[in-house]
Amino acid sequence: MFISMQTIPEYIKILDAEFGTTCSLPFASAIKAGFPSVADGYGNDSIDFNRDLIRHPESTFYGRVYGDSMIEAGICDGDIAVIDRAADAVDGDIVVAFVNNEFTIKYLDLGHRHEGYILLRPANPNFSPIRVNEDDDFRIWGVVAWTIKQWKKN
Amino acid sequence: MLYAICDCDNCFVSCERVFRPDLEGKAVVVLSNNDGCVVARSSEAKKLGVKMGMPYYQMRQMYGESQVIAFSSNYELYADMTARVMSLLRKAAPSFFRYSIDEAFCVLPDMAMDEAKRWGEAQAAWIRKATGMPLSIGIARNKTLAKLAVSFAKKYPGYNKCCVIDGEEKREKALRLTDIGDVWGIGRRIERKMLDQRISSAWDFSVMPSEWVETRYNVAVLRTWRELNGMDCIPDEEMATRKSITVSRSFEHPVSDYKLLSTHVANFAARCAEKLRRQESVAAIVGVYIVTNRFRKDVAQYGNTLDYRLSTPSSSSLDIVAGAQQALKLIYRSGYSYKKAGVILMGVSKNDIYQPDLFEFSPERNEKRRKLDCILDEINHSQGRDTVILGSQQYTHERGKGKASAFKDIIRHEYRSGSPTTNWDDLIELH
Repeated sequence: MFISMQTIPEYIKILDAEFGTTCSLPFASAIKAGFPSVADGYGNDSIDFNRDLIRHPESTFYGRVYGDSMIEAGICDGDIAVIDRAADAVDGDIVVAFVNNEFTIKYLDLGHRHEGYILLRPANPNFSPIRVNEDDDFRIWGVVAWTIKQWKKN
Repeated sequence: MLYAICDCDNCFVSCERVFRPDLEGKAVVVLSNNDGCVVARSSEAKKLGVKMGMPYYQMRQMYGESQVIAFSSNYELYADMTARVMSLLRKAAPSFFRYSIDEAFCVLPDMAMDEAKRWGEAQAAWIRKATGMPLSIGIARNKTLAKLAVSFAKKYPGYNKCCVIDGEEKREKALRLTDIGDVWGIGRRIERKMLDQRISSAWDFSVMPSEWVETRYNVAVLRTWRELNGMDCIPDEEMATRKSITVSRSFEHPVSDYKLLSTHVANFAARCAEKLRRQESVAAIVGVYIVTNRFRKDVAQYGNTLDYRLSTPSSSSLDIVAGAQQALKLIYRSGYSYKKAGVILMGVSKNDIYQPDLFEFSPERNEKRRKLDCILDEINHSQGRDTVILGSQQYTHERGKGKASAFKDIIRHEYRSGSPTTNWDDLIELH
């Protein structure tokens, strides 16, 4: 038994895993603190982070930030990064990479690609960039789409 | 019409590797509940000679900890990662049917061979990028040949994750290269009988006259023979019955009422749970589907399917019924007349927690659960929905509450990885 979208026009996709749950908040249109209007054009009467901020639920993962290497980018110890593996990393993106047996969150600097290496740049003068040469074992695990910061602690 | 069978490569090992990229290229195994024996192996572990089902202590006697890395099963992770893969496949094809935790097939419209190959390669690459999960795709005009194709795609990297068997020449070549015992649907017993009759490859079998097959073997084998010869005759549901536990019914009178449908689904789920217990297994995922009559053009059409992940693999009717009802609640839409509904249990594994030699396990609790299951089954059959609702209310999937999580704690899982996709406390660490 399988269900065909051709024969069943009203096929409704239920998102999997934790994205199946939604949390709807009343749409407060008066708040204009520069938050990007990602919901524009959706015509919704509520905001749902899962629906509006997560472009690809299947490829979205979360990570917890440890340390201050990205502090000048506004990413601090304890923040949560929303990582999209489906997005293509371009120069200047904040990425999650796997180097030296750990996950690291850094700016992707492709400026020296033609010289045979790339840089993972921290946003903190106390840290040095990580240089990755062409033949190093290195992979970009995903692109950071959002970070979440908790201000009010309970 | 083309069938594309999509199968995650070394599924459980691949799930672990997504969050441990350092383990790419290393020998990795996943152990059964209680770390009893090997249930999944990376290709490196296979090459070293680690066997499926090998007891863990025995494996350790042969291979050191740095040689083969072992993980306890983490079904929470596997269920979440496979759900992501399945969701992408579902979006990629006009029709889709998941039939086990790590396998599904898509039905594709007729297309040229190179076009089908491009589709398969693109899906495998995209899913690998999006989820980190490697998968192989086999495409052919029937399911048996598609199964063969996917095994070629897995075996030879040159296929670039997708093998298409189409046309006489390709079919013959594939059959000649396949041992009869490796044909889908040919079990051990039949394999031995065939070898006695000097049939050793799929090709040898396929060129026998149909009367020869009919007089010696059952209908299932005959169907396999027909499929090897290019016909399409194995029904869609059969994929699931060979790999998972499924109970489904077409209703004599279409059902619109939620409560009635819910009672049906609860009964299917309870029946599945009984079957599961009879074979001493547990399941990780409860899938539910409902569909209107697609041959009736005059009624509104709707169909949907949802896989519900149990917080821990279980055979308890309480857990499975509750899971099925949760899933149904999410896919049910009022205003439609449902013709058919079904429950599929996936991620089925042997339940070795009932081994009496495990001192961690309380026989008392075991007995209580068993009794509870028997009583619940009985009541479900005789009384119907009210009792089932009580069960699902008492044992929701919520973390940290109810029997499911208490039960989880008594299963041994010394080498278990975290749950980076389902638990805030287990997120990957970014430095």
